[in-house]
Amino acid sequence: MKIKEKIKNFIAENGSFIFSAPAVLWQVLFLYVPFFLVLYSSFKRVADSSLHDLTFEHYATLLNSAYFYIIARSALIALGVTILSLLCAYPVAYFLALKVNRRWKNVLLFLLTLPFWTNFLIQIYSWVFVLDYNGLINMALLKIGIISEPLHMVNSTYALFLVMLYYYLPFMIMPLYSILEKIQHDVLEASMDLGATHWQTFRRITIPLSMSGIKTGVFLVFVPAFGEFAIPAIIGGSKYMYVGSLVSHYFLVARDNQLGSAFTMVSGLVLITCALLFNWLCAVPAQVAQKEVE
Amino acid sequence: MRTASSYIMPIAVAAFYLFLYIPIFVLIVFSFNDNAFTYSWLGFTTEWYSDLFASTEVWHALKNSLLIAISSVALSLTLGSVLVFFGSRAAVKRLLLLFYGSLAMPEIVLAVGLLSLFSFFAVPLGAITLIVGHTLLGLGYVVPIVHARFIELDVSLIEASYDLGATKRQTFFSVVLPLLAPALVAAGLLVFIISLDDFIISFFCAGASVQTLPLYIFAVIRTGASPMINALSTLMLLVSSFLVLLFSFLHIHKSRMPK
Repeated sequence: MKIKEKIKNFIAENGSFIFSAPAVLWQVLFLYVPFFLVLYSSFKRVADSSLHDLTFEHYATLLNSAYFYIIARSALIALGVTILSLLCAYPVAYFLALKVNRRWKNVLLFLLTLPFWTNFLIQIYSWVFVLDYNGLINMALLKIGIISEPLHMVNSTYALFLVMLYYYLPFMIMPLYSILEKIQHDVLEASMDLGATHWQTFRRITIPLSMSGIKTGVFLVFVPAFGEFAIPAIIGGSKYMYVGSLVSHYFLVARDNQLGSAFTMVSGLVLITCALLFNWLCAVPAQVAQKEVE
Repeated sequence: MRTASSYIMPIAVAAFYLFLYIPIFVLIVFSFNDNAFTYSWLGFTTEWYSDLFASTEVWHALKNSLLIAISSVALSLTLGSVLVFFGSRAAVKRLLLLFYGSLAMPEIVLAVGLLSLFSFFAVPLGAITLIVGHTLLGLGYVVPIVHARFIELDVSLIEASYDLGATKRQTFFSVVLPLLAPALVAAGLLVFIISLDDFIISFFCAGASVQTLPLYIFAVIRTGASPMINALSTLMLLVSSFLVLLFSFLHIHKSRMPK
């Protein structure tokens, strides 16, 4: 009886801590502890080496141009996909947010989210039908007579790029749309009334107001695109290695967790550097604009 | 006045939607093609659909996927809403950053970390490890969504509940949870879809013992696909469009509620 009372009191006094602990613990145990485990594992000589037998040899192994090319290739593809998807997504988001009437807007938004909620492997796989040696594009081009031999499109970097663009576009459109939707029409009209051209209004008003949406979209596309694994595995064949494919190779095929961990760490570092660089780049135009005003 | 330039944008948007839907359209058409080996059209068939319903492997994978998705939704909603309500407001606001971690990293890094953790403690891979991983992903969405709704709630409602003599637990179940319902449904649906769709964490943390639907699809695509996958995709497309409609209906419903 006394113990029960004690427990009751303890819960009453520390309820806030007890009930909030599980979620926090879950996140720490399964997200942040593993991070340090991977870091630690990247310094271990072999899988079952003792606690103090640490080495830099895996990082030394990575000082090889082959690894540099893999990381650079992933970063470049991710960058290309990000820039192109921003360029394609902006007009679509702008149209949806500011130009279309309410009824059409709901229909178009529904059509936009549908592929987004569809199984992602199926989205990628459906492109095989379009791009394959006997696929839709080749069939159409042969029928029209533009080509006499089917083109090899699957397994090329172009195909990979196209499919990644396809998959990531909605991730760019959604944040852009939700920020553009908040822009008041009055602000744009005021700018036009004060004599600004369409282009000036767009550059000086719309873009600065949508900057946070651009930032979110860029992160939502660049980060997963950099570590992409399934799209090269299905579309890209085995012609080139990407960061995602190499990481999965080390952990699931070669079972070299130490080198894999080191490679994951280095790639992660590159990713963080890119993110910081982008953040800095975003801050520069604001400062320049500030100077212009002064 | 309408000039030529005012048509450019609608045309560009139409082209975008065409780009978005061509592969899906092709997929659906080929699910009815009576030709298993090449892409040429040999006639209409529903053979792949009957194959699909006869296949035990698909339904087993679907059962695993649903089980894992439902468990992850239940776990992340429980942990998330309890944290948001019982944690002190200042602490939760600071802790929020902790939950963005899983969104800021590429999923493959999360997967590698989880795999390292499980192999370090010799945890056998299987459905449990998948639930752990998907709940981790889920918390990253549930906590920010539910928290955003919770801080919008009228504090006086909660205070009134205490003043009328309700305990903290009673307040949670009879006042706060009903008020949070729209956010809980939205977050739960999101986590459900994410878990059902998840490939990377599943690929790393499933081991050989458990197969989910995406893992099954990947295996079939890898070993030379069968049109059965198209039939499966078409059915899944139907289910997800139903869910999206449901989701947008809930959304509209919510926005129509008086503030």
